[in-house]
Amino acid sequence: MSTDSSAQNIREETEKPKYLRIIDLGKCIGCGSCEAVCDFIHDGTAFIKLYRTSIGLDIPISCLHCRKAPCIDVCPTSAMTRDSEGAVYVDEARCIGCMACLYACPFGIPELDPRARVSIKCDLCRPLRAMDLEPACAAICPTNAIVYGEEVEVFNTVKKRVAEMFAKTRFETLHEGYKP
Amino acid sequence: MVNYMKFAFLCKEKPSSNNIKVAIIGAGPAGLAASGYLSCKGYEVDVYDKQPLAGGLMTFAIPPWRIPRENIFSGIKELEEKFGVKFILRTKIHSGKPAREEGDEFVEKNIPFEEIIDNYQAILITTGTWTSKKPPVKGIDAKGVYTAVEYLYRHRIYELGLTNEKPPYAKKVIVIGGGYSAVDAAEQALHDGAESHLVYRRTIKEAPAGIFEMKRIEREGVTITELASPLEVIVENGVVKGVKFQRMKLGPPDESGRPKPIPIPNSEFILEADLVVFATGERATPPVSPEDKEALNKIGIKLTKWNTIEVNNRMQTGNPKIFAAGDVVNGPSRIGPAIRSGLYAAKYLDNWLQAKLLKPIPSP
Ligand SMILES: Cc1cc2nc3c(=O)[nH]c(=O)nc-3n(C[C@H](O)[C@H](O)[C@H](O)COP(=O)(O)OP(=O)(O)OC[C@H]3O[C@@H](n4cnc5c(N)ncnc54)[C@H](O)[C@@H]3O)c2cc1C
Ligand code: SF4
Ligand code: SF4
Repeated sequence: MSTDSSAQNIREETEKPKYLRIIDLGKCIGCGSCEAVCDFIHDGTAFIKLYRTSIGLDIPISCLHCRKAPCIDVCPTSAMTRDSEGAVYVDEARCIGCMACLYACPFGIPELDPRARVSIKCDLCRPLRAMDLEPACAAICPTNAIVYGEEVEVFNTVKKRVAEMFAKTRFETLHEGYKP
Repeated sequence: MVNYMKFAFLCKEKPSSNNIKVAIIGAGPAGLAASGYLSCKGYEVDVYDKQPLAGGLMTFAIPPWRIPRENIFSGIKELEEKFGVKFILRTKIHSGKPAREEGDEFVEKNIPFEEIIDNYQAILITTGTWTSKKPPVKGIDAKGVYTAVEYLYRHRIYELGLTNEKPPYAKKVIVIGGGYSAVDAAEQALHDGAESHLVYRRTIKEAPAGIFEMKRIEREGVTITELASPLEVIVENGVVKGVKFQRMKLGPPDESGRPKPIPIPNSEFILEADLVVFATGERATPPVSPEDKEALNKIGIKLTKWNTIEVNNRMQTGNPKIFAAGDVVNGPSRIGPAIRSGLYAAKYLDNWLQAKLLKPIPSP
């Protein structure tokens, strides 16, 4: 079973354009707006959550939608699966709540739904995407720290930001004291 | 790729109108998130704000290097142009004589709260915390002493081109506090070219802004003094000259769970300054004065001892058609909690109105 889903895991990868979400911690100000909207659309359960770290920096944690997702490979009922846009999600009707996915996840993402007793996690807002809308957390983020889009677009956006930063640093060292 | 705050994140466009008018008082993150939700449900939403622009503290206090302005303004513009939300700005809503609060500079029109209650089917109050707490120390009213919100507000309205009056500049600035407003004010002073000094009564380990932020502004050039509390603002000819502090040590935890700062006797010292910013917390500002018990009773709103509005678990006040959300309910928090609270209040308001519409009219 696990080889089956593993093959599927990679096969789907090469089909249509895939979408990706990156949380750019360089931009994040820890305001919690992402957690707020996710909590709201899921009636009190947020799939992106801020954790206050020992140095007082708040870090948003959510599923990374791995391209070779160990949670999909390990799931005995194929409940953990990937949609055509690349998002890893749980097919609740198949899930038996064994939490093998949680053991497999390097980031400790899946949780057990307190009522339905099935695994739950971020699905990159499948219902909103079905309406041609963006995932809620990416849509609300005040600083554009959450970058969501087609893979290539996301990779370029993130690198463009680094380029801007390099340019700024280089400019400032050459023109010390200049404020654009 | 959405690159602005999309307050109406739940629908592509506004569905056909249900012709029900609701009013939102206060266009901060709580009010804006609520208007996004309610316009997606077909309501006619009017948002009132005393400021000349929407966005609340995001626009008028938080520095643009934290949140880019266009991200806020594009979201507001979309609400207005695509979702038909009406913004009625420079308009203060208040019952009785309008209280003097921070950021009243641009008010052109005062509308009695009672009039709004009569004209709308439901009302959501999201007026935030627009008055600052100042410790009762000698000299606090001297020229050159500001609250963090006053100080940052003056910078924001100048940058936004809303005034020609330059914000307060000085050579030596002291900021007192350990929260985000203190960090922002100290960083602002640094950006203005001042010597910036932040003084906090606990250590940075206990600071609500966190060690990371404190160390970040220290690296940028802010001097940080821990474990000191202001005793007196030193004034000469009505103008601030410095602050007398007392050293503190950490004691057992207080009611906030953090170690209580205890004054060390005979440890006073003076720091010179020509501008002092008290970033020592803000207080809720509901649209009815806390002293006006008669109006509160008549309208049916109850306030807590912190002046925040009391709501039930459906975010409804004592008057069933009036809901409240954001910092005016929870006290100073953050953008996320304000948005969360605004969204839930909007949902409960919608549920309440829909249930009311479904109920058969009782026969006489
Ligand atoms: C200096 C500073 C820095 C901050 N930095 C951060 C940060 O980095 N990250 C973060 O998450 N949070 C930060 N916060 C907190 C955050 O700004 C607030 O928690 C949030 O804005 C609260 O939202 P709100 O909608 O409840 O109220 P507000 O944003 O305060 O909005 C209330 C609105 O109501 C209007 N209003 C008030 N009274 C009336 C009236 N009677 N009639 C008409 N209109 C009225 C006001 O003009 C205002 O526009 C900061 C706060 C301050 C002061
Ligand atoms: S909404 Fe954006 S800036 Fe705010 S905590 Fe989430 S990722 Fe960070
Ligand atoms: S994409 Fe949707 S489900 Fe996933 S964390 Fe963001 S808001 Fe929550």
